[in-house]
Amino acid sequence: MNIKAQIAMVMNLDKCIGCHTCSITCKNVWTNREGAEYMYFNNVETKPGIGYPKNWENQEKWKGGWKLDDGELSLRTGSKLDRIMKLFYHPEQPELDDYYEPWTYDYETLINSRRKNHQPVARPRSLITQKRMEIKWGPNWEDDLASGESARNDYNLQKISDEITLEFQDIFMKYLPRNCNHCLNPACVAACPSGAIYKRDEDGVVLVNQDGCRGWRHCIPSCPYKKIYYNWKTNKAEKCTFCYPRLENGLPTVCTDTCVGRIRYLGVILYDLDAVKNCASTQDEKLIYSNVLNVIKDPTDPAVIESAKLNGISEAWLRSAEISPVYKIIKNWKLALPLHPEYRTLPMVWYIPPLSPIAKNVEEKVYLPDSKEMRIPIAYLAELFSAGNVSVIYQTLQRLLDMRTVMRRKEIGESMPQNLEFEIETYEKMYRLLGIAKYSERIKLPAGLQGVEHEKLRELQGSTGYACPGGFC
Amino acid sequence: MNELLYAALPYISLTILIGGTILRYAQGERGWTTKSSEFLSKNDLKLAGPMFHVGLFMAFGGHVIGVLIPKFVTESVGIDEHLYHFIALAGGIPAGVLFVFGFILLMIRRFGNSRMSVNTSGMDKLLYLILALTIFTGCAGTLSGFGGHFDYRETISPWFRSILMLSPDVSYMENVPLVFRIHMIGWMMTAILFPFSRLVHCLSFPFEYFGRSHIIYRRK
Ligand code: SF4
Ligand code: SF4
Repeated sequence: MNIKAQIAMVMNLDKCIGCHTCSITCKNVWTNREGAEYMYFNNVETKPGIGYPKNWENQEKWKGGWKLDDGELSLRTGSKLDRIMKLFYHPEQPELDDYYEPWTYDYETLINSRRKNHQPVARPRSLITQKRMEIKWGPNWEDDLASGESARNDYNLQKISDEITLEFQDIFMKYLPRNCNHCLNPACVAACPSGAIYKRDEDGVVLVNQDGCRGWRHCIPSCPYKKIYYNWKTNKAEKCTFCYPRLENGLPTVCTDTCVGRIRYLGVILYDLDAVKNCASTQDEKLIYSNVLNVIKDPTDPAVIESAKLNGISEAWLRSAEISPVYKIIKNWKLALPLHPEYRTLPMVWYIPPLSPIAKNVEEKVYLPDSKEMRIPIAYLAELFSAGNVSVIYQTLQRLLDMRTVMRRKEIGESMPQNLEFEIETYEKMYRLLGIAKYSERIKLPAGLQGVEHEKLRELQGSTGYACPGGFC
Repeated sequence: MNELLYAALPYISLTILIGGTILRYAQGERGWTTKSSEFLSKNDLKLAGPMFHVGLFMAFGGHVIGVLIPKFVTESVGIDEHLYHFIALAGGIPAGVLFVFGFILLMIRRFGNSRMSVNTSGMDKLLYLILALTIFTGCAGTLSGFGGHFDYRETISPWFRSILMLSPDVSYMENVPLVFRIHMIGWMMTAILFPFSRLVHCLSFPFEYFGRSHIIYRRK
């Protein structure tokens, strides 16, 4: 056993209202710079939809993540030699139009216009070329299924298309906020020829060293979640930093802090580094999820604590791991699932699948539905969160339904249902944490790897790490 | 004049090349990158990028053989004048074709595409001008070798080696044709620009990638 600590996030999708506050606050802090206009370290997609960048889930096209070759784990982009051959032209690298061309408007014309018969208009102007442009696509074009047809091209629907018609009476949607997953087995790190991307030993945050990056661009296609971006101005790769300067001071990431739906949970988990590779090499991709749960270790187990201490994990971190809300949700209650576990990067941002409204055809008959009667097809959720393993989704949703049933019966004084998986008190705790928990309950972080003051952090807003010391940029 | 161009300038340019590169690495690693523009314009790089770079590698290899290895060495292993020229042209012509056409395609891409202008600095433009000069005179020189009356291995190569031996012998350069002289000025200008341009990325060819583990962990 070789215990490491990791900051992990859980998102409760039932509560995401799709407001994009997380994306905007993140953008204001990290990517409001030239060269980064198109980047959203955190974005919120409406599913079904092709997402941002377009069709990011289609790994036949981008070759993101890992695959198994006779039981051996290898990057989908090929061997190291294959990647060196792609240095001068990378066939799988996304280009600007796979995201969108960022723009602003000529607001000046509104102010400076002479008196005319018609209202002056502010026309769009490209933030890349500074020329006038026509807006064809944006970071959020599919919001609330707005783009219509593109929802049908959702890659997840391809395997299960006969079951899901997307006819008007059956239409469904949900929001999917996404940031870097700070994976246990990060494909981006493995793909970087310069060794500029690394996983931090202390907290598992995956970072791009802006000095070491040479712009070889291999991380971008290799991340199956497309969460590494190419800065066209500095010509280096950038990614979500998990707001590490804040984490180091015991503060949550900006997206977590500002989340309007209070859907985000942040805390420490302990995992066994020696078990990571085996887990990522699980033969049957449907079992990866249950195997990751075994990689995450019980923070109260003496053997785990001993190994953690040997690796220099401090008392404060061990205490945080013990009271970690994410550990409870992920491991004790098994309510959260990793996004696309079949990519084999072992993501550490987890999702509680949404309990959607009841399907139209059973609406009149039931008050609390069975997990099979949900409006969002189970098969679709299974494509997203369990590599197509529908029984995992059934079980997870059933736990959430049980919680609701217990709380309802308690409220109206009915007798409790039989054959419950957990004790009644557990459902009450679950309800509290998922439903009404305050900031301090949702977020449990050990304070401080270093003592930078909050004022100083504010000063650095928008610039941290990306400015150009020494010139030559 | 010859003294200045062929005894002083080489040392000036090589000093700037080495000293400047060290300075750039120490002071400005944040800006040390390939400056790839594939993100802005992908399709027109597909052929041009690999063509140019492969041509460049071949041309570089050819120069190492032609310039650094003295004539008597190749002759002593049984490669006579005729055979040498045959090998040089057999390798040199494909290299030149890839290199030159790759370069032309890259320039068409760079200056014929409005998005590319945001990736093109003043330094880039100067660099491309000097590179064009160097590449085209180099190719013209190779092709003029068909006639066979000028042998750079008896003039330019020994001169270059004399530079490396720190005892520059300018007399070798006395009867060198104009294209080759321009080619010499070209490489020296390139060497001067090298540390301050995107060219530095060639020093970052990631050999070390083959020796390292997949996942890197680092402590703060
Ligand atoms: S999600 Fe983040 S850590 Fe995982 S592969 Fe992508 S960039 Fe790397
Ligand atoms: S801020 Fe919270 S509720 Fe709003 S879109 Fe982001 S994750 Fe969803």
